Amino acid sequence: MQYLPLVRIYILYPMCQKHHTSQHPSHFEGSAEEQQTANQVQANYLEYIKDFKFFDPHIHMTSRTTDDYQAMADAGILAIIEPAFWLGQPRTGVATFKDYYSSLVGWERFRSSQFGIKHYCTIGLNSREANNEPLAEQVMEILPLFLYKEGVVGVGEIGYDDQTAAEDKYYRLQLELAKEANLPVQVHTPHRDKRKGTERSMAVALEHGIDPSMVIIDHNNEETVKSVLDKGFWAAFTIYPFTKMGNERMVEIVKQYGPERIMINSAADWGISDPLAVPKTAALMQMKGISAEAIRLVTYQNAIDAFAQSGQIQVEDFASGNTIDQSKTFNGNTILRGGQQPRVDKNSLFIR
Amino acid sequence: MTATQAYLANLLEKTATAQEWEWIQSKVQGDLKARQIAFVALPRFIRKVPVHTGGTMATPIQGWELDQWTLDRLARVYLLSHIPNHDETVYINAIEMLFDTAEINELVALYSALPLLAYPEKWLFRATEAVRSNMGVVFDAIAFGNPYPLHYFSELAWNQLVLKCIFNDKPIHLITGLTQRANAKLANTLSDFAHERWAAGRKVPAQVWRLVQNFMNDTLLDDMRRLLQSDDTYNQTAAALVCFHSTYAGAKELIESYPSLRNSVQKGQLQWKQLEVHQLCYV
Repeated sequence: MQYLPLVRIYILYPMCQKHHTSQHPSHFEGSAEEQQTANQVQANYLEYIKDFKFFDPHIHMTSRTTDDYQAMADAGILAIIEPAFWLGQPRTGVATFKDYYSSLVGWERFRSSQFGIKHYCTIGLNSREANNEPLAEQVMEILPLFLYKEGVVGVGEIGYDDQTAAEDKYYRLQLELAKEANLPVQVHTPHRDKRKGTERSMAVALEHGIDPSMVIIDHNNEETVKSVLDKGFWAAFTIYPFTKMGNERMVEIVKQYGPERIMINSAADWGISDPLAVPKTAALMQMKGISAEAIRLVTYQNAIDAFAQSGQIQVEDFASGNTIDQSKTFNGNTILRGGQQPRVDKNSLFIR
Repeated sequence: MTATQAYLANLLEKTATAQEWEWIQSKVQGDLKARQIAFVALPRFIRKVPVHTGGTMATPIQGWELDQWTLDRLARVYLLSHIPNHDETVYINAIEMLFDTAEINELVALYSALPLLAYPEKWLFRATEAVRSNMGVVFDAIAFGNPYPLHYFSELAWNQLVLKCIFNDKPIHLITGLTQRANAKLANTLSDFAHERWAAGRKVPAQVWRLVQNFMNDTLLDDMRRLLQSDDTYNQTAAALVCFHSTYAGAKELIESYPSLRNSVQKGQLQWKQLEVHQLCYV
């Protein structure tokens, strides 16, 4: 989950957006070779990742359009995980939490399937809303009904935001729920005081006897990655403009640490973010000489390995490039299948 | 055990492994919370293989079609049939909670189970919610092979079910009780619907005209004329069948002007079955 400080957009936007690099050569400070690369990136990066498969383990599709789904499918994203998060403003009752969780396993799952993308989710009480204790108590009551559902691959995203006592309380309670349900934990690390918040998230998980291999520490950066990997946790990186990782920096991290236990996500949501962050970063890695196998691990396989520990991911459901659901296609009868959305030609003037 | 439970148990035993069957049997008892969690967690223990319905005993509920079901769906319905119903409030609340928190496959199982739930009239609102759903498989669970709408839907609700089915290019012949509940309002609305589609340059699935046969009037007669004059053989077949079987004087007259079609209907060479197109939906 991303909390975009809007004021920074105003400062950064005019300075950093170079739409036509070639027209402003004086602003470009890289080598000729890098400039060449940069131009190609903008032109047709999909050429670099033609037969790649991607798994985005953190993306908030309820905030995105069908155009995004279509573009993601076209870029090779086969499956995604949508963590339960904050909706941009606080909820006022348990019923809206219930409806939100239901939508993650219901309508959004269906919407995704129409584009051939397999949709999983993690369910949890996010750290911001953990601070509303009377409401948090009620949410904790209904969580078990959702955690055992088909396709729920973890408890998430949970952790610290302001690092208050209430956040700590509900983080711990949810770690216990995860332990009981034998589910992985997807941990949101705070924006402010990040390094200490990340250390605390890991220490508390260990204190509750959770194996680090069952914990995905999210939103890492150059300052947190080493400790996370050294302690045996999964290290997830969010490629998100302005506030999180940029993908050029991401390339350097994979060069330095290798692909083991590292995964990339977009965390795309209602802020200025990019649902194609994973394929774009893969293309950049490919251009910058990172091996195809390493790219496969950080943009696909590691996320699957981490979250499949839930027992809720069957790779054959999406690996072939088609979402397969026995209940929708068996006996060769298509009547009862969920159905894929008909393709619409985006460049056509006509709407039929 | 009721006849329906025995029927479901028989089907389950045929498809489930010994281990799966044992799990199911262990979950039809216990406290309410445990049963609810079992309903939710079921796919962790039960596969989604197709159910073998061939050669089994006859379905105890007429119009309830289980041959497209998967094992997880069948097992969930079986669990639901065992939720104790002696206390109406407790029972209703328990089922409502499952509906309120359900994911897609759970919703499919819940709606499939409506014909066997206790206090059937209490589920009417829920059932119409499934008709309002835009999740294809959820709509299908109430619309096809499910006798609940036939017995409990008002005419308004019934007509919405049929119209939404047609609007979404789904096969209406799979609706249980389709002919039985045909009515004049629906027939007239169908004519309006067809006019809208034709104005937009779109088509109407030919088999829907079977719903107007007993409710002909001059407007519908004009529609039949238009179908007969079209170059679509499905449309011509539909209009010929309607006119031939209608008792409306104008319809009888109209079909006489198409002797070859009339003869084909008379000889049984043309039938609604031929218009039941299976691959139409979601294209």
